[in-house]
Amino acid sequence: MESVLLTIAYLASSVFFILALRGLSNQETARTGNIYGMVGMGLATLATFLAIKNGTPLSYTLLFGALVVGGAVGSVMAARVAMTSMPQMVALLHSFVGAAAVLVGFASFLNPGEHGGSAIFVVEVGVDIAIGAITFTGSVVAFLKLDARISGKPLVLPGRNYLNLAMLIGIILTGVMFGRTEGGEALGWLLAMTAIASVMGVHLVAAIGGADMPVVVSMLNSYSGWTAAAAGFMLGSDLLIITGALVGSSGAILSYIMCRAMNRSIWNVIFGGFGTPTATSKASTEQGEVREIDVENLVGELQAAKEVIIVPGYGMAVARAQHAVYELTSLLRQNGTKVRFGIHPVAGRLPGHMNVLLAEANVPYDIVLEMDEINEDFEKTDVVLVIGANDIVNPGAETDPGSPIYGMPVLKVWHAKMCVMSKRSRAAGYAGVDNPLFYMENTRMLFGDARDKVAELVTALKAGK
Amino acid sequence: MIVSIPRETFPGECRVAASPTAVKKLLKMGFEKVLVERGAGETASFSDAAYEQAGAVLVDTAAAFAQGDLLLKVRALSDAEVGKVKEGMHVMSYVYPASNKPLLEKLAARKVTLLAMDCVPRISRAQKMDALSAMSNISGYRAVIEAASHFGSFFTAQMTAAGRVPPAKVLIVGAGVAGLAAVGAARGLGAVVRAFDTRAAVREQVQSMGAEFLEVMVKEEGEGGGGYAKVMSPEYIKAEMELFAQQAKEVDIVITTALIPGRPAPKLWEKRAVENMKPGSVVIDMAAEQGGNCELTVPGKVVVHNGVKIVGLTDYPSRLPTTSSELYGNCLLNLLTDMGGGSGYHINMQDEAVRGALVLHEGTLTWPPPVVEPSPQAVKPAAAATPKPEAAAAVAKPANRGVRMAIVGGLLLALWLFLKFTQTGAASPATYAFLQHLTVFVLAVFVGWQVIWSVTAALHTPLMSLTNAISGIILVGAMLQTNGDTPTGALIISLIGALLAAINIVGGSYVTQRMLHMFRK
Repeated sequence: MESVLLTIAYLASSVFFILALRGLSNQETARTGNIYGMVGMGLATLATFLAIKNGTPLSYTLLFGALVVGGAVGSVMAARVAMTSMPQMVALLHSFVGAAAVLVGFASFLNPGEHGGSAIFVVEVGVDIAIGAITFTGSVVAFLKLDARISGKPLVLPGRNYLNLAMLIGIILTGVMFGRTEGGEALGWLLAMTAIASVMGVHLVAAIGGADMPVVVSMLNSYSGWTAAAAGFMLGSDLLIITGALVGSSGAILSYIMCRAMNRSIWNVIFGGFGTPTATSKASTEQGEVREIDVENLVGELQAAKEVIIVPGYGMAVARAQHAVYELTSLLRQNGTKVRFGIHPVAGRLPGHMNVLLAEANVPYDIVLEMDEINEDFEKTDVVLVIGANDIVNPGAETDPGSPIYGMPVLKVWHAKMCVMSKRSRAAGYAGVDNPLFYMENTRMLFGDARDKVAELVTALKAGK
Repeated sequence: MIVSIPRETFPGECRVAASPTAVKKLLKMGFEKVLVERGAGETASFSDAAYEQAGAVLVDTAAAFAQGDLLLKVRALSDAEVGKVKEGMHVMSYVYPASNKPLLEKLAARKVTLLAMDCVPRISRAQKMDALSAMSNISGYRAVIEAASHFGSFFTAQMTAAGRVPPAKVLIVGAGVAGLAAVGAARGLGAVVRAFDTRAAVREQVQSMGAEFLEVMVKEEGEGGGGYAKVMSPEYIKAEMELFAQQAKEVDIVITTALIPGRPAPKLWEKRAVENMKPGSVVIDMAAEQGGNCELTVPGKVVVHNGVKIVGLTDYPSRLPTTSSELYGNCLLNLLTDMGGGSGYHINMQDEAVRGALVLHEGTLTWPPPVVEPSPQAVKPAAAATPKPEAAAAVAKPANRGVRMAIVGGLLLALWLFLKFTQTGAASPATYAFLQHLTVFVLAVFVGWQVIWSVTAALHTPLMSLTNAISGIILVGAMLQTNGDTPTGALIISLIGALLAAINIVGGSYVTQRMLHMFRK
């Protein structure tokens, strides 16, 4: 295939990708957007297939085989994944991008073609492999954590930031050595650099845990984009550069949004983290009396309520309570109650995770609102049902300057006439901060598994009709 | 705690501090008893019977002052009333502490705790207790009604069988709460409305209410803190006066509401402007109590100059006594709720709203309140409210911007040095290719930045899986490396890369599609 035609095909693919992302600006156009994305990818793949130089029957067959196998594996994964497991899936896919970038980097070093030789090319290979390796191992660790195969607790090694710095210097040094040597020796240095970058990826992500995972996942999303862009530089492909830049900015924006929603800087999330001994809260010493409510009384309150807001958190995902919540919602709506959902940007383990879970359970998306859209409405709400959330509804974030989460924007559920917290136990949230909300006069606790409790509510509501 | 509500004694005052509805709420809030002076609500159309029905106990003047613990009033206490106040009583009313020093001294001697409804700070949390704004709104409305009654024509344009009547042209000077209410009322009656304000921030509010926003050609910002106006420079004032003298020839009705805190009202409507107006025109000077915006205003009177009526009334809220009393009462109730209601009533010095209103605390002068640093959470939500590129730009403080410029400059310099010293001789084609790619990259980052901000937060998970899919386009790179007829290391590595990328492309697209199909209305 002639190169002019190839370039035009790549240009068209780039435009399709931009349209795909553009489509996600609202739910109506999102599906069309995704189809644009697929068209773009199909087009680019087909054009590339025709553009391979020196292809042989063997290489074509093998490539075709790889594509078919990859596609099949991808389809099966995508078809089987539960919506509660989306964070793992996303992390895993990030790791594939990283791994592919590393492999492509090595392949293009071994088989440089027309670009090879120049100093710039060497730097490009180095950068591509370094970012790719960090993305790969970081994402694998994130996947293991999210999938609960390893502990989600942050692994804090002594002097971890010095370790990071040392590894960064190591990457740069081995990279320089790689650039200055040739042949087998260069390959050795390159492998050494890959090894250091891989360890750094593990270490970076291992140090972050729990509720900071949304930031990590979006950060890795960003890395995977920059990796693709670096590969684009290396291969001289504008398509890859554009795509990588789009994905990279997307991840960067998501990380920014997540960090802002926690009132922390990205540096604080990556290099700081909660639980450091400096963050002592005076609120944690403050105790009070919690008032419990049973299902029967809560049903009475819900039946009498005109407006109900449900605030889901990671606990709802863990308990897989979204379907029960949907049933509750539809029963209340039949009853003439106005039911809405309030979603905090960092609820769950992935940006927008709650929205997907609720959508999966058939909750109409127009009653699922963002924090900024709903925060003023709590005052006129009769009952707020908090399901498996804690820190994102902590009034201490507004009132207690000693609290580690002070200044984080929260859902102001305590303004409602009544606030019911469905919680498994009395334990504090991820941040280890006691929640003054538990002891407020208009707060009632509903202890027990979220799914069981909501199911009981549904049964009681049905019986009450 | 016993609440008492006396009759207002200020001449012409028709309001009362609490309506029967408010009495009911006070009792519900946990106050043990509410005393209401007989006839207190008469001028506001609330009968004694209605108060009794709401649960109030009717008493005479002396009992209202002697038996209550918390006195709710509209106007500041008069000299006669101060004498009746019980020692240690809590009083809520208008106070205007800056100009009422003698009153404060007398009340201090009686160990009174005094909360001034006119001193509730203008913070968003305290809006529901802000009696001044509530009354300004009423005044603005009433000012238009007064103007209509003094004006000899229609407000709205009419095409009658007998001939065409043009619409009245109304100019509103000062677009605060009262001014905006006046804009709304005048528009509602069908007039053509123009408004002027020194604060550029109100332009959109004026325009959103359907009025034209007038400007002078001098650029100066009139925002003086707390949403109030400040004194402008002489050049600005001169230009403003010229504008008004011109407008005077065109408009039929002028409503002036310009006030600057702590100063006499600025003289904006000069004698020559009045003389420029057509006979039959009306000037409503809502600042009459503070000396008036018009040079010819006589407070409390309606005067006629060259056929132009200049209305200097000072009691607009009192002319809508029923609504004014209801709203004033609501402000009191909201403040009381904030203070813990009837059962938990206490003075919380940490509460910004209460601290602002507190003038006397058990006889000790606590006014003016200490200046409070704006709390971080008061600032944060405003920035977080609009997750748009503008917000991101706004977050960048000027200092940050400088740092960013320096970083970008440094990077460009480093790039140049790198390219310069890794080359020997003239720039190679590889350098040009790199620079071209860099251009594409930087532009693509900007496009990405713009496009991604428009993605709705509800779709952030599909966004991630879609970006997973499209970053699988690294497949293209892997594919281009697959060649040769022997399975070399490079070929095998590329094939594995292609396989992983294919998983991403297919898996990412498919799972995105699955998710997007779930989003239903």
